[in-house]
Amino acid sequence: MIPRMRFDFWTGVLLLALAVIAVLLVWPLSSIMTASFIDNRTGAATLGNYARVLGQPFFQDALINSMIVGVGGMLGAMALGIPLAVLTTRYVIRGRDMLATLAVLALVSPPFIGAYAWIMMLGRNGFVRLPLEELGVPVPPIYGLFGILLVFSLKFYPFVFLLASSSLRTINPSVEEAAEGLGAGAWRRFFKVTLPLVFPAVSAGALLTFVLSIADFGTPAIVGGRVRVLATTAYNLFTSEMTGNPGLASATSMVLIVVSLIVVALQRWSVGRRNVAGAMVRKPVPKYLGPFASAAAHIVCYGIVLVSSLPSLVVIYTSFRKTRGPVFQAGFGFESYERILREVPHVISNSAVYSLVSVALIVILGTLIGYILARRESPMAGALDGALLVPYIVPGVVLGLAFVVTFNVKPLELTGSATIIVLMLFIRRLPYAVRSSASILKQIKGSIEEAAISLGAAPGRAFLKITLPLMIPGVVAGALMSFITAINELSSSLILYVGRTMTMPVRIYLSVLDGEFGTAAALSTILLGATGLAVYAVFWVSGRNESAFV
Amino acid sequence: MSRVDLQHINKSYPGVKALDDVDLTVNSGEFFTLLGPSGCGKTTLLRAVAGFNTHDSGRILVDGKRIDNVPAHRRNIGMVYQDYAIFPHMTVADNVGFGLAMRRRPRQEIAERVARVLDLVQLGGHAQRMPHELSGGQQQRVALARAMVINPQILLMDEPLSNLDAKLRVELRDDIRDLQRSLGITTIYVTHDQEEALVISDRICIMQSGRVHQIGGPQEVYARPATLFVASFVGAMNVMPDLPVGQGGEIKLGDGGCTVQALAGRGTVTLAIRPEDVVLRARPDKAVVLGGAVDKVTFAGREAFYRLTCDGDRRVLAHVYRPDQGQLESAGVRVDLAFPLARLHFFDPADGRRIEASP
Repeated sequence: MIPRMRFDFWTGVLLLALAVIAVLLVWPLSSIMTASFIDNRTGAATLGNYARVLGQPFFQDALINSMIVGVGGMLGAMALGIPLAVLTTRYVIRGRDMLATLAVLALVSPPFIGAYAWIMMLGRNGFVRLPLEELGVPVPPIYGLFGILLVFSLKFYPFVFLLASSSLRTINPSVEEAAEGLGAGAWRRFFKVTLPLVFPAVSAGALLTFVLSIADFGTPAIVGGRVRVLATTAYNLFTSEMTGNPGLASATSMVLIVVSLIVVALQRWSVGRRNVAGAMVRKPVPKYLGPFASAAAHIVCYGIVLVSSLPSLVVIYTSFRKTRGPVFQAGFGFESYERILREVPHVISNSAVYSLVSVALIVILGTLIGYILARRESPMAGALDGALLVPYIVPGVVLGLAFVVTFNVKPLELTGSATIIVLMLFIRRLPYAVRSSASILKQIKGSIEEAAISLGAAPGRAFLKITLPLMIPGVVAGALMSFITAINELSSSLILYVGRTMTMPVRIYLSVLDGEFGTAAALSTILLGATGLAVYAVFWVSGRNESAFV
Repeated sequence: MSRVDLQHINKSYPGVKALDDVDLTVNSGEFFTLLGPSGCGKTTLLRAVAGFNTHDSGRILVDGKRIDNVPAHRRNIGMVYQDYAIFPHMTVADNVGFGLAMRRRPRQEIAERVARVLDLVQLGGHAQRMPHELSGGQQQRVALARAMVINPQILLMDEPLSNLDAKLRVELRDDIRDLQRSLGITTIYVTHDQEEALVISDRICIMQSGRVHQIGGPQEVYARPATLFVASFVGAMNVMPDLPVGQGGEIKLGDGGCTVQALAGRGTVTLAIRPEDVVLRARPDKAVVLGGAVDKVTFAGREAFYRLTCDGDRRVLAHVYRPDQGQLESAGVRVDLAFPLARLHFFDPADGRRIEASP
């Protein structure tokens, strides 16, 4: 739409972006797809891997368990997120901002930290389980489906909460009043009018939690006990020395991708059919509740948020407990921190360096691609847009496996290097930055840049003087979000790391498996601290906009 | 002050002809309006002049010099947008001074010219405000000042009043007209609001589907619409399509009729008359008179609107000015209505063109 002179530069960006996607997404994923059709022993083409994955009880269990944790995690997140959203948007809840901040913190802290904190609370010797059992309260075993679902529900409900809240806040109260005037009681009104209006937002949040639940590796690996899901099965098939089978691992990964793909497609289809954008005339005003109802509402809201914040508190508390080796002693001390600084200082610097480098790459390319998607419509830009959906769908374990399969031979032999981890973080999080920069650009009217041009600014200058300054808050928020997810990335790093390139999440995971809860807690606390700072910074640049995190 | 020549401009999008051989001249200092429904090509044409759209063929000349290949930022054309397009991160003064800063004028000169133009648009005390502190009408005044301060050869306005409420619209409309006249800037103005076009323009160009239907002064296009489209788009019009015409030019309408020699030899004609030209309860000379029944009367103070049925099921609207008290017909009453011959418009049913007839 804007003159030919920028044609070359933006076409160059487009070609670069397509090349990046070809090398870092298309190639690895087609490698793993090819591998899924190859027999491990004979090397011949076969459908046998799929026959086994879909036919053998061992794999069927994994598939069924994945569906259970997906659906269960989704329902759990909705059961917590929707009431919280309704109560905090419709009624006066004191400390609403603080609740939202805590929910965001729960959301961005890595799920495996939640998993092992719950083990410390409800595990066989958990400090919450023991007193409860003495009181005669039955507590289901934390290892297994209960533990996974507990962690997922408490971890992912903020997605539903944040999406539903922002949607509820844009419903014109006149609509609900009109329904009341037409004779609909409170419950009918909620189910017939309010809920359908927030459906797109709620379903988007719910299906997002489904996809994240089935893709998550750390939680079932730590708290799953004997319950295997597709993600852990693929990982084990690939890494175990004795029974390693890349073909089967690849076939399992493909099944995981297909399930995610179906769910994402379903979500897009269901939202696409409803267009509920309304003309906003009045903003809903939270109402005051009577004293008893208000107390009940506060208990529900604070209960949900505080329980979901427990893992972080437990981790921080544990990190300061006195230890001797792996054994906790009475009292407090800094032994855990001393140990990580003595034994594994490089994991902290690795995590920082890899995250910062990948975020720098993400910001540069993500902003430019975002501009192309928002301002320059073309078939190639459309293809780019579609390709950038892929990382949303492909779980970290799968992309990690695909990278190993692809980049362990020439011409690009990268396994064991820091580069491969940086590239993985980069491609996994690039779409988030692209989406945030495209959405900011869509809010900046194109006419603004045109006005600058007609006033005599050359197109490049108009972009630099007008559009870029307006984009910066959004770009910075996007960069911080990428940093948060990059520094907390576990599953793919676990597959790609070697001793030298170990990151904090990987070290935490290995420490938990070894029963080294003290060092795991200390590292987790550092990770939580970095994450918390980034969250604070996002609030600072985006003016307290919680939905920036979704 | 500059003259603009658009010569045989064509532009196609896949499956759509956006501009179909548009050929027109905007005179120096003229207030020229492109009027038409959405999708008629008026904005495409405006953006071609601004340099934001390319056209497939044709030439754009300003004062006789081709500007087709001059990039938008070197054209020295001011543009005002429907959505204001104010730079939200700059003060009012910085917004207005932007074009001068791009032209590297000395700071002192910028400050003086900005202050002068802000006074002109009645925003004298607002120089250091941020845009979000201003109302929509004030923001559009800033945009106007910003476009005018660079002394553009041409001022382009793309529906600048559409986002404002009715009262502000009228106020700013008059101010724009006064400013344009006092500064004498050649102005091309785009709107879909025919009343706005009539009030504000020196000349109006009515477009539809990328084609120019008529170019003329407001009174001319209202009184003598060149096509049936112009007749129905500008003002209200009763249209009676495809009436059979006799050998000598006779037309029969209900129980009345008339003979128009200019129509002799045509098979059919489309006849049109404005509601305010329909005469009720009188039988003037040289008029088609027919009987009708009142369906509905709406009283609006200064005028009254009648909806009538005549000639079987033909709907006719009639406007009566300063309706006298107690003289309004009520629904169901039969009444004579007359179409004065001098007020009738005739159009060719095949191509919609006006047929000149002086009965």
